[in-house]
Amino acid sequence: MVRFSRVTWCAGSVLALVLSAAAVADTAAPVHYSVDAARSLLRFSFVQAGAENTGRFRSMKGDITFAPDNLAGSRIDVTIDVASLDTGDEERDTTLKGADLFDVAKYPQARFIATKLVAKGTSRFDAQGKLTIRNVTRDLNVPITFQTKTEQGKTVGYMTGRVTIRRLDFGVGQGEWKSTEWVNDNVTVSFSLRLVPAAT
Amino acid sequence: MPVRNTTARWGSIAQLFHWVIVALIITQFVLASIAADLPLGLAKLATLARHKSVGITILGLAVLRLIWRWANPTPVLPNTLKPYERVLANVTHATLYALLFAMPITGWLMSSARNFPVSWFNLVQLPDLVAPSRPLYEALHTTHAVLAWILIATAVLHVLAALKHHFVLKDDILRRMLPFTSSR
Repeated sequence: MVRFSRVTWCAGSVLALVLSAAAVADTAAPVHYSVDAARSLLRFSFVQAGAENTGRFRSMKGDITFAPDNLAGSRIDVTIDVASLDTGDEERDTTLKGADLFDVAKYPQARFIATKLVAKGTSRFDAQGKLTIRNVTRDLNVPITFQTKTEQGKTVGYMTGRVTIRRLDFGVGQGEWKSTEWVNDNVTVSFSLRLVPAAT
Repeated sequence: MPVRNTTARWGSIAQLFHWVIVALIITQFVLASIAADLPLGLAKLATLARHKSVGITILGLAVLRLIWRWANPTPVLPNTLKPYERVLANVTHATLYALLFAMPITGWLMSSARNFPVSWFNLVQLPDLVAPSRPLYEALHTTHAVLAWILIATAVLHVLAALKHHFVLKDDILRRMLPFTSSR
C-alpha cells in the first residue's frame, strides 16, 4: 500500500510537471510567420541631386518566428528579390539593377537575418542582425514595432521599422556611382510587413 | 542710369532681368542638348539636375520681373509703328513672357510625372505637382519640346525686330534695353 501510494504520488508529480511545462511552452511558443508580400510594403528612399527619390521592392520572402514574451526564441529572416525594385521609372530601375549598382544578375537577393531581439518598450524592439547586399554582410540594428491582430480567427502580425544604411558599405555604387556628389550615401529603408502564420 | 523705368527707357533693374534671363535661357538650351546626347548615367543626372535648377531660377525671376513691370512705367512703342507691327510686337512680348512661365512649369510637371522630384541647386526640394504617370510624362515632354521650339522662333523674331529698329529704322528701341547707352 505504502509503495503503491508512493508510486502514485511520483507519477502524479511527474504528470503535473509535464503538464505545467507544456502550459508554459504553449503560452511562450513563438509563432512562426511568413511575409504576406502582396500586403506588405518595403520602401527605400535616397537623395538624388538634392531631391528625395523613393522606390520599393515588390517581392520578398520572410521566415519570421516571433513572440514578444519569448524573444530568445524569436528570429527574423527576410530575403528580398532585388530585381523586383520599382522606383516608378523604368530607365532608373534598369540603371539600379545594373552592374554598377545592385548587379541583380550576380546578386539577385538581399537578406536580413536577426537572431537577437531586444525589448525596447511596449511593442518596440531592436532587431540585431546582419544585412547582406551584393554578397557584402554588415551588422545592422533595426528598430521595429510588432503587434498582432486577430483577423478571421487567425493571429496576424504587423511589423514595421525604419533604418538608415550606407549604400557604399555594401558596394552599391561602383565606378562613377561611388561618388556621393549626386547620389547620397545614405539610404533609408522602411517597411511595414504583414505576417501570416506559416503553414507548418 | 535710373533704376526705375520711364516711358522712354528701361531702368537698370528691368535691363538686368532681361539680360540675366537671356543668359539663363541660352544656358538651358546648352544643358538640354548636352543631356539629350548623354547615355543614362551620373553625367546625365547631373546635367538634368542643373537644367532643373536653372529652370526654377528663371521661373522665380519671371515672377519678380512681372511684379517689377507692373510697379513701373512701361516704355512706350514708337509712333512710327504700323498698327499690325504694334500688334505683332505686343504678341511677341506676351508670348515670351508666357514662355518664361510655361517652360519651367512644364519641365517641373514632367519631372513629377516621371517621379524624379525637382530640387533647386540641392538646397530646396520642390513638391511634386502630379502623381507619377508615364503617358503624362510623354505628353509633357513633347509639350516642353514644342514650347522650346516656339521660344526659339519667337526669340529670333524678337531679335530681328530689335536689329531692324536699330539698323534700319535707326530708332531707340534696342538702345533703351542696353546698359551703358543713352537715348537720343
